[in-house]
Amino acid sequence: MLVLTRKPGEGLVIGDEITITIVESKNGGVKIGIEAPRHVKIYRRELYDRIREENIDAASTWTIDDIVTVSENIIRRRTKK
Amino acid sequence: MKKLVTRFGEIEYSKENSLHFPQGLVGFENLHDFVVMPNEKNGPLFWIQSVEDPEIAFVLTDPTNFFLDYKVVPNEMEMETLNIKDAEDCHALSVVTVPESKEISLNLAAPIIFAPGTNRAIQVILENTQYQIRTPLPKVEEMKPAKTKKAKKKQAQPGASN
Repeated sequence: MLVLTRKPGEGLVIGDEITITIVESKNGGVKIGIEAPRHVKIYRRELYDRIREENIDAASTWTIDDIVTVSENIIRRRTKK
Repeated sequence: MKKLVTRFGEIEYSKENSLHFPQGLVGFENLHDFVVMPNEKNGPLFWIQSVEDPEIAFVLTDPTNFFLDYKVVPNEMEMETLNIKDAEDCHALSVVTVPESKEISLNLAAPIIFAPGTNRAIQVILENTQYQIRTPLPKVEEMKPAKTKKAKKKQAQPGASN
């Protein structure tokens, strides 16, 4: 990983289209400004990571039998009054 | 008809029952094409199988089956990716996680927006949302009335119940 030291007001340029500015640093938090084209998706990493992990779980842990069981349960819920 | 060998065995598909994710899904940005597999049982679940990776398949559902007032509106950029002009030309789907307990959960924090007219879909991450990544199904006694497609436009009250 490239590690650079920046001060508030300073910034970085990534490629031709992305500019990062350190806006403020206080109480252990850093406020960052990002300018990027609209098509570039920007997420807080912990959120992105959690969604990614959930997708990985959702993609591989089930079987066709599970779908049958769960579907039957859902239908049973619906007929319950 | 094309054939595909998956972890569930061999499946057949054609262009009509395939779904294109121009940007892939979160963590699966390299997977763009999926086959839509109907549920052989009744009920609101169905699944999509990756064409590119036979190991990868997702269970999906229309979340309004369980959460009547759930709605995701795409932004301009997302509409462009879906190749639609009107935000009404798409609707949300949720990725379903099926744990060993079979107590399924819906990922309401990262819905899939699906445009039936163009067969395209994207997964979006909702920022600053109350919705949870693992939202359990509502308890049976809290279940909202079963909806029809038209119910969405009626703006039913979130708390309404039978």
